[in-house]
Amino acid sequence: MYRTSLKFCLMIATVALAAMLAGVWLAEIYRQHDSRAMLLPDRVMTLFPEPKPLTAFALTDDKNRVFDLASLKGKWSFLFFGFTHCPDVCPTTLAVLARTRDIIARNKVGADNIQFVFISVDPYRDTAGKLRQYVEHFDTSFVGVTGDNAQIGNLAAQLGATYQVAITPGLENYPVYHTTAVFLVDPRARSHAVFTPPHDAEAISRRFKVLRELAAGNAT
Amino acid sequence: MRWRDRVFVCLISALSVVPAASEEAGVSVRDAWIRETPPGMTMLAGYMKMRNNTSRSQFLVAASSSGFESVMIHRTILKDGMAGMVHLSQIELAPNGSLNFAPGGYHLMLMTPKRTLRAGEPVVINLKFRGGLVIPIAFEVRK
Repeated sequence: MYRTSLKFCLMIATVALAAMLAGVWLAEIYRQHDSRAMLLPDRVMTLFPEPKPLTAFALTDDKNRVFDLASLKGKWSFLFFGFTHCPDVCPTTLAVLARTRDIIARNKVGADNIQFVFISVDPYRDTAGKLRQYVEHFDTSFVGVTGDNAQIGNLAAQLGATYQVAITPGLENYPVYHTTAVFLVDPRARSHAVFTPPHDAEAISRRFKVLRELAAGNAT
Repeated sequence: MRWRDRVFVCLISALSVVPAASEEAGVSVRDAWIRETPPGMTMLAGYMKMRNNTSRSQFLVAASSSGFESVMIHRTILKDGMAGMVHLSQIELAPNGSLNFAPGGYHLMLMTPKRTLRAGEPVVINLKFRGGLVIPIAFEVRK
């Protein structure tokens, strides 16, 4: 009887010890592979297994310069589709992106090779001057971009964004619908990841930091 | 009456007036703010936390402000994966319930500000409830 319970106790102790060791081992694995563990699909970001190269498009920036495929090369780009007559979603998202940029800028690698692009789907009301005034309120480095409907549609379709501008004759404040996701394009102008709302600056910058490190590791 | 008693009477009457007023109001609002936008922008949004302190439903039916050409009750909705806005003619506050106007959801759409609003400034918006009650609320402009 005593022997059985002693055996049982030993067995329990062994199992407990094994569990503890497994825990320590898992914690260590997690620490080492922290970066990869963070890139599992989650509610903040969807990472494409194969980044998708974008093809030619032609838009105009807020200083009336060409903004095309070449403008996306050589730096990371955060793209957001919206319009300046948008009182809720757009200012909220741009404020989050401004904070995201601040956090990334404080990082060792910095924010020099990153651009934040606000693409207006409402070119009828959003002239270059208006766009400039709008985006620089959030961050002076932000770029406002728009163009003709076909070209906005071209880039939107490539990224998986949708929008709808319901111009109504006689109605000044016509409704505009647009995707609220933020698209991340890598320095080779490939669609790399999508951030899904509700957006959070800490969450986005944390994931971006890991992505950039991984991309730098792959490149070397 | 000694002055101490006089103060006491004043306090009592003041106390009896304040609860009567807020009970009549029935709705309390806190954390009311407007997001600062670039100068020249015609659309802004106002957010707040509302609480119905009564045991019957209250209905916010309109809002107005001398600081804007018009104010509307709006809600951001998702339609086919896209965000858009709908205008609401009224919002019900459940008995003893709370309702938050927050980014990405309910908001007051503030159209055509009469002056440029800077962070830190207050703007009064009058909230109108069914039954004729109007509550003026100071919204703070924030970055």
